[in-house]
Amino acid sequence: MTVQQQRGHCRAGAWRRHSCLLAGTLARAWHFHAASPALLICACCLTLPAAHAQTGCLGRPYPNTVIQNPLDLTASNGVLKAELTLRSQEMLELPLKACYVYDAGSEQVEAPTLRLAPGDTLDLSLKNEFSYFRHHTTPPPPSPPPHDPCTGGNTATTSTNIDFHGLNIPPDCHAGEATITTIENTDPPFTYKFQIPQDHPPGMYWYHPLRLGSATVQLNGGASGVIIVSGIEKVKPEVAGLPERILVVRQQFDDDDPEAWPPGESELSLNFELSVSPHRPSPVIQMKPGAKEFWRVANAASQAFLALRVMFGKTAQPVKLIALDGVPVRKSVDLRTIELPPGGRAEFIVTGPAAGQEARLLQTEVEIGRTGPESDEQELAKIVATPDAKVPPALVGGMPGATAPAPRPAARPTVVRKLYFAEANNGTIGPTRYFLAVEGQTPRTFKPSAPPAVVTKVGAVEDWIIANRTGENHAFSMHGVHFLLLAADGKTLLNPEMRDTVTVPAWEGEGPYPTVRLRLDFRDPRTAGTHVFHCHILHHAETGGMGKLQVNPQ
Amino acid sequence: MKLPAILPVAALVIVVIVASATAGGAPSHFLVTNDDQGTVFPPSTLSFYPIAPDGSLAAPAHVSTGGNGVAGGFFGANRLLIAPNGPDECLYASNAQSENVSGIDIHTHKLAGPVRGSVPDHKLARNGIALAVSATHLYAAFSGSGNIGVFERQPACALKFIADFPAKGLAGGFAESLAIHGNMMIAAYGDGSIESFDVSAGMPRSNGDAQNSTRAQDDYFPDSIDITSDGHYAIFGSGSADAAVQVSDISSGKLTPTLVYTLGTAWNSSSVRLSPDERVLYISNNSAGRVTAAFFDKNTGKVRQGCTSAPLKGYYEQFTYLGAVATGLSTGTGGLLYVPEFNAQKKSYLGVLRFIATPTGCTLTEIAHSPFAGVPGSALLSIAVYPPRPF
Repeated sequence: MTVQQQRGHCRAGAWRRHSCLLAGTLARAWHFHAASPALLICACCLTLPAAHAQTGCLGRPYPNTVIQNPLDLTASNGVLKAELTLRSQEMLELPLKACYVYDAGSEQVEAPTLRLAPGDTLDLSLKNEFSYFRHHTTPPPPSPPPHDPCTGGNTATTSTNIDFHGLNIPPDCHAGEATITTIENTDPPFTYKFQIPQDHPPGMYWYHPLRLGSATVQLNGGASGVIIVSGIEKVKPEVAGLPERILVVRQQFDDDDPEAWPPGESELSLNFELSVSPHRPSPVIQMKPGAKEFWRVANAASQAFLALRVMFGKTAQPVKLIALDGVPVRKSVDLRTIELPPGGRAEFIVTGPAAGQEARLLQTEVEIGRTGPESDEQELAKIVATPDAKVPPALVGGMPGATAPAPRPAARPTVVRKLYFAEANNGTIGPTRYFLAVEGQTPRTFKPSAPPAVVTKVGAVEDWIIANRTGENHAFSMHGVHFLLLAADGKTLLNPEMRDTVTVPAWEGEGPYPTVRLRLDFRDPRTAGTHVFHCHILHHAETGGMGKLQVNPQ
Repeated sequence: MKLPAILPVAALVIVVIVASATAGGAPSHFLVTNDDQGTVFPPSTLSFYPIAPDGSLAAPAHVSTGGNGVAGGFFGANRLLIAPNGPDECLYASNAQSENVSGIDIHTHKLAGPVRGSVPDHKLARNGIALAVSATHLYAAFSGSGNIGVFERQPACALKFIADFPAKGLAGGFAESLAIHGNMMIAAYGDGSIESFDVSAGMPRSNGDAQNSTRAQDDYFPDSIDITSDGHYAIFGSGSADAAVQVSDISSGKLTPTLVYTLGTAWNSSSVRLSPDERVLYISNNSAGRVTAAFFDKNTGKVRQGCTSAPLKGYYEQFTYLGAVATGLSTGTGGLLYVPEFNAQKKSYLGVLRFIATPTGCTLTEIAHSPFAGVPGSALLSIAVYPPRPF
């Protein structure tokens, strides 16, 4: 097991804008020259109270570092037992860091990848040591002891929980429940324990906080990691033996003001290395010339809609799609742009450039609507082809896992419902409340204590037509079950695939509202329970854009 | 400056009016815009546009406020107020970036101030500064500090800061908008609650009626406020996912629970304005680019569905949000309606609509030459018309 090289000092963003103003000013005042980077690094990395440094986050990669996979934690004898600690670290003039720290014995690492096979049990202990709260706010008192994390608690930026995004697991406090579970930083370690179903689709999932009142701040700080359910090579043999590259796109904001919308400036990162070219060199993906790799990409940004391209020079290259949102696709089409809403994942085969050929992974400009945050083109990484490239290990065959494609929903729905995204603003910069409402019901912002917006029963097959009545994109995300994406923007898709998160495009001010049509299959008795659905722009979810679905037993 | 295409006759009228204004002072009928550009320099201006008989706007006079705007903020905040003050007729304008308030004589355009509040009020009012005036005082809700600054109105439109009143909603929200009738001031807070105050002594004194508005539980928060001429009803616009307004009977001198009226699906209804005859309630559907007219019964306070315009020209392409409606006339249903179009492309416009009552309801249509494109500010949200309606 190789620990990822994550030991860095200051992040690239520190050099980019305001964060190094102090250092730059000092350097100028003291007649230092650009040849004094060490001093600037020190100045940039001045931390707030020393106590944070003892318990805070780990260093993140330098600019221009070769991208490596996160540390793998793999189940043994059917169980993956691990302990994570959620921490925060505030740094002068820099965005907040939030991190899942794993103690690997000789050293600590951030955000390990959890690898499980269908049938394995995840036994994950989470200690909440998150201490950050906004400067001009008062930290709420901890809930009076003894506090039961399964009964809720204070809505505070110091509370947390984990959403195991996309896994088809029961909505239980110790598994997939994400609205009530509240782990406070005064609680003892909390245990998540559940089994991956034997028939679970093999693919890429991820974990992140979803506690209302803290999720956005924590996710923006970097609190997220990947889950791999093994066995994809059995459904998609073409990936067997290919180097398996785990790429996590995150997004950090210069200002964590939860009321500011659209939010302020932000930067994307790839495996924690900031992508801020041309201000600093980009992360580097090393590949063997012309070799194929299996890329597994998670959009762990809280707000960014991704449209990724592998560029050779100015030409977008085709990549072969293998899976979406953790589910192998029925038809492995070639795509030149991989579109991922916040929370979405895509797995695909990339063929590397020739030695010396200019290549890069590019986030292209995304149309996100008039009132949404800007989304400009950004180079995420340079792709460097060299015979001695350090490539990630090949995907190991022979792992347990499903051998057949995931089942599809029934051909006909028993129920058709209409839902819609809406917003209420009191001004040009908010405050804005977000609604994910069922047509015919009074739109209400989500409250965890509210009754379910949708009630159905095991055996139902439902089509949901979800409209966007707002001027910005939303990302509809469903917990507990995947859905078949039948139509987008009113057009029936030729190759519908299973998803758990999908973009609902912005309304352009006239004409019909853009819609997506999903098919949800509740014939499996294991779908019984109360699931949530929400916008995966977590700021929207936290300010109302969420609902509950109750599936009653038959 | 770019002027809209106008009929030759109207152009002649405008020339005459402008000439008259130049020769004999300010025109008698004009529209004022708060030219908020959000820049530190030069200071913001107010533009005084003479209104021609056909409703078209002529070349304006620009008057510096001596302060700076913040280029956005609450839809419901009144950033411009026209109010008599003894022999003076004053226009008060708030400057949210410089956190102060200016007084301007509307006839001489002489500037008084701007005047600051307290030291704590000197904090960026990123959501604007809402204004309201009584006969003797001006009240400014600073969205940065959360205080309501109390200013004494003085001759020549000057203001003198008296003290702050720390007003907060039931859940700690700051005041977004204010309105005054007689000695009663009403505040709508950013947490969905509302409250009234007795301002007879200058400093506000709560009437003890702070309460959540009826739709606050759904996060439909009251925004702008209008009050009937007899002080019987207060009407609240709402930041809402549809066109919802709320009405409270205040005849007892206190707020009563609001009744909700949903007037269609046009998104957001933060800004409300009664017609001069109080028969029609004009609602800016701020995020939908539309304007709604509803029928109001001033005897019962009931609101009845009327009509909603189509999205105004340039919605989404030229502008994103609408500000509050101003009526062109101070009588009847108000004549033409003017509505600020907040930029999406660094330039603001003024939409112009015509309301017509019909046997079955009404129509609300944008006139041919709308929008007016000559507004210098990039972030227009507040306008006012002189002479104002009588209440």
